[in-house]
Amino acid sequence: MNNKNSVPQRPRSQAALRRLLIILGLAVTVALFSYGWTVTNINLTVPQEPVRQTNVGNALRELLSPNVFTQEYEIIDATASVVMNCPADFVAPEVTPVDGPYIVVDPACASSDDTVTIRGYNFFPNALTRVNWMATDGERRIRQVNELGRDNFVSREDGTFEVTINVPRIRGSAGETHTIEVRGLFPDGPPQLSATTGLVIEKMIETIFLALIATSVSILPSAILSFLAAHNLMRPIRIQMGSLLIAIVLLPVGWFIGTLLIGRLGEMMLRIGNLDFSGAESVAATSALIILGATVVVNRRIRSDEPGLPRLVLNRVLIAVGSIVVIGLIGGLGLLAGRTFTTDWPGYFGRFIGSLGQMVELMIVPLAGIITAVIVAGMGIAVTRGAFKTMTPTAGRIAGLVLGGLSGALLLGLMAMIGMSAAWLGLLPPIIAAGLASGLLPQVYRQFVSTDPLRPRGDRFVLMLLGWAGAIVAFILTYNVLHTQRALVEGTLPPTAVVLDLGIVQLSSYVLNAMLIGAVLGAASGFLVGTRSNFGIGSVMYTTTRTILNALRSIEPLIMGLVFVIWVGIGPFAGVLALALHSIASLGKLYSEQIESIDAGPIEALQSTGANRLQTIMYAVVPQIIPPYIAFTMYRWDINVRMSTIIGFVGGGGIGFLLQQQINLLRYRDAGVAVLAIAIVVSILDYASAAIRERYT
Amino acid sequence: MLIIENLTKVYENGFVALKNINLEIPDGQFVSIIGLSGSGKSTLLRCINRLIDPTEGRIIWNGMDITAATDDELHMVRRRIGMIFQQFNLVKRSSVLTNVMSGRLGYINPVYSLINYFPAAEKARAMAALQRVGIQEKAYNRASALSGGQQQRVGIARALMQDPEMMLADEPVASLDPATSHSVMKYLQELNKVDKLTVLCSLHFLSLARAYSDRVIALKDGVLEFDGSPRDIDNDRFKAIYGEDAVEVEIH
Repeated sequence: MNNKNSVPQRPRSQAALRRLLIILGLAVTVALFSYGWTVTNINLTVPQEPVRQTNVGNALRELLSPNVFTQEYEIIDATASVVMNCPADFVAPEVTPVDGPYIVVDPACASSDDTVTIRGYNFFPNALTRVNWMATDGERRIRQVNELGRDNFVSREDGTFEVTINVPRIRGSAGETHTIEVRGLFPDGPPQLSATTGLVIEKMIETIFLALIATSVSILPSAILSFLAAHNLMRPIRIQMGSLLIAIVLLPVGWFIGTLLIGRLGEMMLRIGNLDFSGAESVAATSALIILGATVVVNRRIRSDEPGLPRLVLNRVLIAVGSIVVIGLIGGLGLLAGRTFTTDWPGYFGRFIGSLGQMVELMIVPLAGIITAVIVAGMGIAVTRGAFKTMTPTAGRIAGLVLGGLSGALLLGLMAMIGMSAAWLGLLPPIIAAGLASGLLPQVYRQFVSTDPLRPRGDRFVLMLLGWAGAIVAFILTYNVLHTQRALVEGTLPPTAVVLDLGIVQLSSYVLNAMLIGAVLGAASGFLVGTRSNFGIGSVMYTTTRTILNALRSIEPLIMGLVFVIWVGIGPFAGVLALALHSIASLGKLYSEQIESIDAGPIEALQSTGANRLQTIMYAVVPQIIPPYIAFTMYRWDINVRMSTIIGFVGGGGIGFLLQQQINLLRYRDAGVAVLAIAIVVSILDYASAAIRERYT
Repeated sequence: MLIIENLTKVYENGFVALKNINLEIPDGQFVSIIGLSGSGKSTLLRCINRLIDPTEGRIIWNGMDITAATDDELHMVRRRIGMIFQQFNLVKRSSVLTNVMSGRLGYINPVYSLINYFPAAEKARAMAALQRVGIQEKAYNRASALSGGQQQRVGIARALMQDPEMMLADEPVASLDPATSHSVMKYLQELNKVDKLTVLCSLHFLSLARAYSDRVIALKDGVLEFDGSPRDIDNDRFKAIYGEDAVEVEIH
């Protein structure tokens, strides 16, 4: 029986150790903070200097007095006459009050240097006012106000004033009648928005749209990436080793066929859509269209339920060609629209649709390459799947050796080509080689040492150790063979001299060496694994996508903005690109986390009905993720508006650009307007996005 | 005829869920699978339509080796095997009708699903299936608005859309109250008797197995413990299946 009341006593020595550890921890914390205090230059005397306090006070005062409104003023004159040198028969005229502004001069006759008092009535409250003396020559002489010693004075709250001036000395003026004119500034109409406000509003609209376009452009790519970065969707995707190797070997083949043949067809379609019928190409394209149409019709006629192999091939070719033709035609139409509508409001749409067309024009060849590569690889898998299944283990090993060698060479060759572009990208081939090699020794151990049938994966620790050992050896080997160290230290790129020309690709010695290493590693892995085992391709895609997304996300949009400004010049376009790129990475991550948290039940249910992967995603995954996707997209727009207010500081357009100029010119009252606008827009969006998010999550 | 030969499943973490199972199930039989939680009932059912890939052994259905099927063949097999689940596994935010129609996906052109289109004939078929389980009027409600029993009936309607020859039911009534349990079991019975479907149903309650099935299979720690008529399970057998401390709970 346990006595629940007796708590086991901790030994005294342990308690002392605990106390010591706490004191040590506190000491370390204090030391850390002291260091932090020093490196961040925290200084409490500087802020107390009077000059600085005055400066910051002025700047803040101006920032908080934003130049939002302006007032138009009208000058209204009130006059009264003065008779010089007071003739004997002078009688001061009677002044009758009127509705408008008027003045009374006392006395109404005066000599030079006399002081006269001017009383004004019905002026605008606090209006800026000044006094002119007009002799018979009509010339205006500004008179200083005695009380202030200045020309200008301000009327009282009730619109009256009383000032004194001295009568000017004007030769031979005796007996003349001079005029005193008081000019007051009267507000003309209600206050209006200032020119700065107009500019700020214009830039704010630009900012909001900058954020909107950056966000909406990023939705589709990040939605696609989010599927690749969701482990619950990707982890189960496994592929037979043989099929994977076939796919890797066939992908480049498909790419070349796609870019050379189908991409060319796409370009022709682009021209047809653009109504450009010149040259023999249009004839070729038109006949290609007719043949395609005829094939589709025939294909539909011989519809059958059981797909045979020729049928499968035909279908896939049709999908590849058909999609490129349709995309090409649509792109061509876009270009046509862009060329046709260039003015007025159709011009807006023309420019938009035209640049979509341009986008298709840029993308059609690579797109054809990718689609064809995927389809050719898919066909290769479909054709060879049965063969790999029935292969004897020995034949499987030999096939693995050959295909693995080819795949490894292609993979490392590709990495080397990327690695040639910048010194630190040169780390890619060693890393990938290490990845390939990490499986080698564990495989040897599993197949020839470990014999436990129920635990075919062997001892985990040994496997891990062997994996790391192989990876490190391969890394160092590749690192040395490819002279990566030199590239890292000196920033030099490997020589590009072509040593092997294959017609469509030219290989330098660097790429060739990498391919050799890849071939050896690939062949060894292929031989060990054979072609029948399953490879978790989904996990590899998941890890790759996640790594890229994380790397992209860690680069601030401001830094991306700097690069894009170099590429596309100063302006909102650079800002759009920077924010879009960052949004893709960030939304991709957020979206994929939503996919990972969905209910897996419907996926299982739809798989059990015989739905394929695409259908399962459309009907089991998509309905579940639409609400969070909407919520996160709103959230991202909100963030993008905030970011676009400062992306202008690096030249990315929007209100930040204006704000920076105003601050540099020390026009804090104008800067205040921009700050106010940012505060208003950000808080409205903050509220709106929170409200929408609340509805959808 | 469903033949299971030497079926073994070892999970990645080394857990042995099924050990050398051999079974022969003739067409049209109503088979209950009983056993404690973790005894391998769900794994066995999921191996049959390969939601889980078996480690060893073969499953042969109507002369075809399901365990060796390629992806395309597997789709063809799966669409003739309906399955219902303890948690119903409906898409809660979608309408009942969409949930039911999604059972037909294996038959229609995958391109349609990109634009969320179902042919009118499929819609009519879905309405008929809903009528059969008696919740036609709920067709346009969200699935989440339905009660548990209604959701399971939607699950049955979805399976009916597959035009199945066999029905797998993984604890179909474990989340339902006793009265609803019987109504769901009656639908399964009707499918078995009227439509001549083979039904494989895992159950917690022996009383339900006794009431509805022709044959009972009992699993214990992944091993076939009993295979025979429900009437042959006496108290000793029961204790062998469920452990010494178990007491049979009746559900009426």
